[in-house]
Amino acid sequence: MALDWYLAVSALIFCIGAGGVLVRRNPLVVLLCLELMLNAANLALITFARMHGGEAGQIFALIVMVVAACEVTVGLGLLVAISRRNLPIDVDKLHELNG
Amino acid sequence: MNAHPYAMSFLLATAHIHGPHISWAELSPIAVLGVGALVVLLVGLASSQMVRARLVPTLTLVAIAGAIGTEIWRFSHAPQTIVAGALRIDDLALIADLVCAVAAVAAVLLAWRARAPREAGQGEFHSLMLFSLMGMAVLVSAQDLITLFLGLELLSIPLYVLCAAEYRREGSLEAGLKYLIIGSVGSATLVYGLALIYGATGQTGFGAVAHVLASQSGGGLLGDPLLLTGIALVIVGFAFKASVAPFHQWTPDVYEGAPTAITAFMATATKAAAIAVFLRFFDFTLTAEHVNWAPALAALASVTIIVGNVGALGQSSLKRLLGYSGVAQAGYMLTGLVVGTRLGVSATMFYVVAYLLMNLGAFAVIVHQERVSGSDRMAALSGLGRRSPLLAWSLTIAMLALAGIPGTIGFIGKVQLIHSLVNGGYGWLAIVLVVGAMISLGYYLRVVAAIWMTPADARGVAVAGAGPLAGAPVAAFPPIAGGSPEADLQASAGGGALGVERLTGDPELLLVAGVFGALCIVFGVIPGPVFEFVAHAGAALVGLR
Amino acid sequence: MIFAHASSAPFSLSILIWLPLALALVCAALPARVTGRALAALSLLPLALAVTFVANFNSSYPFPQFVTDHSWIPSLGIHYALAMNGLNVSLVLLTTVLFTVSLAWSALRDIERPRLYYFWLGLAESAVLGAFLAQDLILFVAFFDLMLIPFYFLVGSWGSGERVRATIKMVIYTAVGSFLMLAAAIATGVIAAGDHHTALNFTFGALEHLPVSRTDGEWLFLGFAVAFLVKMPVVPFHGWLADAYKSMPIPAVAVFSGVVAKVASYGFLQIVLPLFPQASHHFQVLMLIIALVSILWATAMAFTTRDVRLVIAYSSVAQMGFILLGIFSLQAPGAQGALLQMLNHGLVTAAAFFIVAAVAARSGGSERMDDMGGIAFRAPLLATLFLIVTLANLAMPGSSNFIGEFMILLGTFQSHLAIALIASLGVVGAAFYGLRLFIGAMHNRVGGRVQSFEIKRSEAIAIVPLCLIILVLAFYPQFGLSRSQASVNLAIAPATTSAFRGSQSAAALLPTFASLDGPAGWWAYPLLAGVSHSLPGKPRRIYTYTTASSGSGSGQ
Repeated sequence: MALDWYLAVSALIFCIGAGGVLVRRNPLVVLLCLELMLNAANLALITFARMHGGEAGQIFALIVMVVAACEVTVGLGLLVAISRRNLPIDVDKLHELNG
Repeated sequence: MNAHPYAMSFLLATAHIHGPHISWAELSPIAVLGVGALVVLLVGLASSQMVRARLVPTLTLVAIAGAIGTEIWRFSHAPQTIVAGALRIDDLALIADLVCAVAAVAAVLLAWRARAPREAGQGEFHSLMLFSLMGMAVLVSAQDLITLFLGLELLSIPLYVLCAAEYRREGSLEAGLKYLIIGSVGSATLVYGLALIYGATGQTGFGAVAHVLASQSGGGLLGDPLLLTGIALVIVGFAFKASVAPFHQWTPDVYEGAPTAITAFMATATKAAAIAVFLRFFDFTLTAEHVNWAPALAALASVTIIVGNVGALGQSSLKRLLGYSGVAQAGYMLTGLVVGTRLGVSATMFYVVAYLLMNLGAFAVIVHQERVSGSDRMAALSGLGRRSPLLAWSLTIAMLALAGIPGTIGFIGKVQLIHSLVNGGYGWLAIVLVVGAMISLGYYLRVVAAIWMTPADARGVAVAGAGPLAGAPVAAFPPIAGGSPEADLQASAGGGALGVERLTGDPELLLVAGVFGALCIVFGVIPGPVFEFVAHAGAALVGLR
Repeated sequence: MIFAHASSAPFSLSILIWLPLALALVCAALPARVTGRALAALSLLPLALAVTFVANFNSSYPFPQFVTDHSWIPSLGIHYALAMNGLNVSLVLLTTVLFTVSLAWSALRDIERPRLYYFWLGLAESAVLGAFLAQDLILFVAFFDLMLIPFYFLVGSWGSGERVRATIKMVIYTAVGSFLMLAAAIATGVIAAGDHHTALNFTFGALEHLPVSRTDGEWLFLGFAVAFLVKMPVVPFHGWLADAYKSMPIPAVAVFSGVVAKVASYGFLQIVLPLFPQASHHFQVLMLIIALVSILWATAMAFTTRDVRLVIAYSSVAQMGFILLGIFSLQAPGAQGALLQMLNHGLVTAAAFFIVAAVAARSGGSERMDDMGGIAFRAPLLATLFLIVTLANLAMPGSSNFIGEFMILLGTFQSHLAIALIASLGVVGAAFYGLRLFIGAMHNRVGGRVQSFEIKRSEAIAIVPLCLIILVLAFYPQFGLSRSQASVNLAIAPATTSAFRGSQSAAALLPTFASLDGPAGWWAYPLLAGVSHSLPGKPRRIYTYTTASSGSGSGQ
């Protein structure tokens, strides 16, 4: 199977993730979509690592996973803090700051 | 890591030593910050409130001073590539490090009596700031796609938390979440772009990527859709970080919501680091493809200049105004990058230094305004000239410098940028820059008018008495778990009448405002030292005209 | 060499420039109630210094004198270069005179926040002197922009009416021009250095050796021209004028209209004509038409407005139109007349603004012509002074203004007859609105709230010295002309059409310029093909340049 298909899937996942970030309102879902985007990058990295035969892409993917975990931790922490303040969990209703 | 031939032979040559050689001297600017962050975090656990409130910020300052010391020590040494080709400690990196470190010193001083470190905990607040600074140091010296990403995240993640440090205030939490989401979108886009560049070249080291691109004959960038997409995504990712339009929408919101000390840190240090890595990535790694990416970045810079300046026109909140102004200034800095010459790199770094000096003084005044009047509205500036002449002058100088009035460093910065643009054949971009500067007068001068030209009646003081910093809003919040004890103490203390000395400004604010205001003028009249300083940055990037 | 070298002065020009600012800072340290009087008295020092320089000035030497030249920003080739020449010598003296008078006027009045007020006036004087004396393009732009800041504060903090709106409008209008000029200035240096493969250098002397190409020159010309036209101002760049002049405090408006606006017209002579001669020639008609429209439009406005201050403001627009006309006649008499007229108009307009304030003080604070009238009956001395100023303003034969306008029109007649004829209408119009203002304010029926009284000490201190100088100049206009003649000829020579674009007249001029020597040899243009090798050195180059530009019409 050609490696191109892995790239196609990765691009698709990236687009789904990016679309979700733009469209969805629940911050939890937005965080999930961010994970999708990062994992699309991981898939692409692994594919390229396979293509070029080096280990750099795999190391890169591992580091991306670590970073993704950090981001999600901070994001969930913020969500907990927000929910304790009884603020609406909806990115559109967070209108204290008007964009 | 990639198998860099030089690193491999180096490892073979030193095979008798167990473990790799660690270049402590070159690593020291980064290592000092890491150690400092851990120490600060531990000391922050002390039970004595005095220790937490005084010793922790002091230790933070010591750590940053240590970093500054090592950076000055390493300055103008021959560039060293360390950690198996992952980092390159050269003068560009060290200048950006120094700028970030100075911004961090100012941010610590601005946060000295602020709510944010008390609420978030002194140890956590300051150690996060040090980690973020360390991330900047890694980012600006990154010489590898992986280190680039790692540095960017090490910079960003602590900042997400710091933005939400005043977590009893709705605006701060929102700013944190908003910054997290937008910042992560930027990171994800960037990492995807980096992945594609890796895919197209098979390399992660900047030098290796540059080598592959330079050796590609024929099609070049446009002939390779993978590389083209990768570079476009990388531009987008960086643009989010450096708040370049049209990816800037988060900037005013986050600047307004975040604690002001953190806003000052983000506005200056993050931007400096982002611009430095922009420079290294485009003017070194992709320099062979200059003709292909330069028009795109030139268009981006023009849009940024116009959008930022127009957006700032209608703002009444000073922090939002500085947010939009920062967007416009990022556009100015990008123009130097577009040219892709040594002159352009030097001009950009000069403007980064100028931007640092111009903004920190202004932010010190905003912190003061928030403490005495509870808001950063422009109208509350009325009578500042009478209440606190030093702060009023600092803000005036900062605004005039940002507008590019002669006698200030902002003027020299713009002269140098226009010089590099005309010299590099981008005369039209110089005109865009100039048009942006004209528009910017419309809002910078409104701030100056608010300070000096509204009647200094009792209004300013009345506002000051009505909503002091620890007033009703804090006390009204229900106590929630996880807060630091000081925050509760502060909340119960309530807002009493402010003393007279409060109106003239806290000493550390006066220090920051005075020093940076004075530097704006001094380097505006005698720019020679700064020129010599930033000329090293242009020389650090090999392969430039 | 038939021209003697410049004589040296005992002081550096830097002292002259920075003394006003230093004095203002010193006086700010004094108790607030004496700041003004101390500064007014001390401002005689820069005036005396300026007089020393003028006395030492060698009128027959057309090149920069009392040169100060230090490298300011070496990496950008920017110099801190100052010098006096025939173009700025009388304007520098005018600046110190007007600031001294304005400070004296302010010192005898109660000013809010006096320290800041005098600081800004001191900075303004330093900046204006700097702009006049700068011999480096970037330094000039820096002083030109810096001039704006004091007036921004003077209008915004001490003005009347809609002062904040007026000041922001003024700054934005003028900054649009200033920033374009900054870009054009940098581009001039970079393009000139690039075309001729030399190091970057922004001094006028160096740039005059390095002409930019014709097409580049045209764009750069426009950048400078917009800045100067806005600052002067002339129609259609005058949008800020009425509001700003209306709300500016009287001492500020006197110096603004008296000298700050002159920096712009001086810039045309000192920078635009020598550096962009071909573009100046190319845009000559456009500039003449702008000047003409200004004269006619401003005359009409001055004739219709009922506001006394605006009459003076519009009259100064008309006068600036005349000055522009003289400069772009590209004829020696026209340019000399323009320079003389800058001096005359600076004195007259400042005196007129002070008189307006004195008259307004007698009519219940109103500056409407309807509220005035009949003031002359109890104030004959004031009326006499007003009459002197009015007659000078309408260029009565015998006044120095008459000579200025006459020379301007003479120059314009030589180059464009039709434009000169129409512009003459402006002279007639000036007589109408000038006399209408005088009669409306001083004679006619006594206004409703008028309480006439004789001129007071606090008013005389500003008006009397200015009127005396106007009278002296009327008898001795040579004061301005003799000092400027050599430099003006040199400045307009490259752009002059009839004398320099025809090979015949160029040949006629050769004996004159063959003997010239000095640091600013504008004629040292690069050699071109078809050189007449029989001529020696510099004359050959003049000849080459002039014949080349008249022959092909494209020059370099």
